[in-house]
Amino acid sequence: MRAYKAMLQATSVILVACAAWSASNTNGSARERVAQKSSARASTRAEGLAAWQQVYAVLTHPRCINCHTATNYPQQGDDRHRHFANVVRGADGKGVPALQCATCHQGSNADSTGVPGGHNWHLAPLSMQWQDLNDKILSSAEVCRAVIDRSKNSHLDGQGLLRHHEEEPLVLWAFQPGRRIDGTPRTLPPLTHEQFVTATRTWVESGTPCPQNR
Amino acid sequence: METYKLTVNGQPKEVTVDPGTPLLWVLREDLKMTGTKYGCGIAACGACTVHLGGVATRSCVVPVSLIGDRPIVTIEAMAEDPVGRVVQDAWVSHDVVQCGYCQSGQIMSAVALLKSTPKPTDTHIEASMGGNLCRCGTYVRIREAIKTASQQLP
Repeated sequence: MRAYKAMLQATSVILVACAAWSASNTNGSARERVAQKSSARASTRAEGLAAWQQVYAVLTHPRCINCHTATNYPQQGDDRHRHFANVVRGADGKGVPALQCATCHQGSNADSTGVPGGHNWHLAPLSMQWQDLNDKILSSAEVCRAVIDRSKNSHLDGQGLLRHHEEEPLVLWAFQPGRRIDGTPRTLPPLTHEQFVTATRTWVESGTPCPQNR
Repeated sequence: METYKLTVNGQPKEVTVDPGTPLLWVLREDLKMTGTKYGCGIAACGACTVHLGGVATRSCVVPVSLIGDRPIVTIEAMAEDPVGRVVQDAWVSHDVVQCGYCQSGQIMSAVALLKSTPKPTDTHIEASMGGNLCRCGTYVRIREAIKTASQQLP
């Protein structure tokens, strides 16, 4: 009987030891997995933020930001000066009755006369302003927060933003902006359209992270 | 050179021109419709305004190749246009014109404004007419004539 108790005790010790080893082993794997996961998440977020900076560089290029003003008028040129001829925003961002965007801007570039054009030429809504009332470009964080705010961005989610960058005719125009009146080509954003879409996709797939600073 | 079929003041027209030729020069040189004026050539003054598909348009910067099937209406058709007739009468009654060079563009813009906004405020008038320059400074009379025309319209 004593021998049986001793055997039971020994077995218990072995079982407890095995369980403890097993638990410690399991905890180790879980920790590793969590560490791996969090590293992957951190890496993806870092990639997303890097991609956003590329997107931001395009959005704030004159070909894009000239129509994302905070004022009642568009801008033009690489120096982003006020649009000439007293052009104003109007109720729907397309100008006013006798002075609409379409008064000059047609469905495609008019290179013989130097007037840029694209389908449905218009200003971005004031909710998508990427500069302040003094025409100073907003920070990367501020633009990012505005772009992902569905109450400001026409209710676009990440995929909607990606599609907008892929397909919107006026976004496409920025990469094929035609010629100025003197015949020289307009300057282009810092990325090609393909690179811009790739950067947007990376940013969207990483959860549309925004920089933390102001 | 390419051939384009246009509809000008309801009439079919055909012109053979370079695709980059501005509508203004097609009207003036090819169709001999000289009511539409050349002012600046860069859409800065409004003297060349016509209606293209119902939109007040600076004909000096629109290449003929981009017109498509949109109808073109010029100052020559305003006497037959219900709003145009009222605007022209108001122009006469207010003796708006001084030298007159910019006035066909002014009237085309005024008609576009009144067709879209029959009862415009001063703000509407200033914003809509702000791209039409008059070196004689007839702006006050232009505004009054638009208001008079507005009162004549339903």
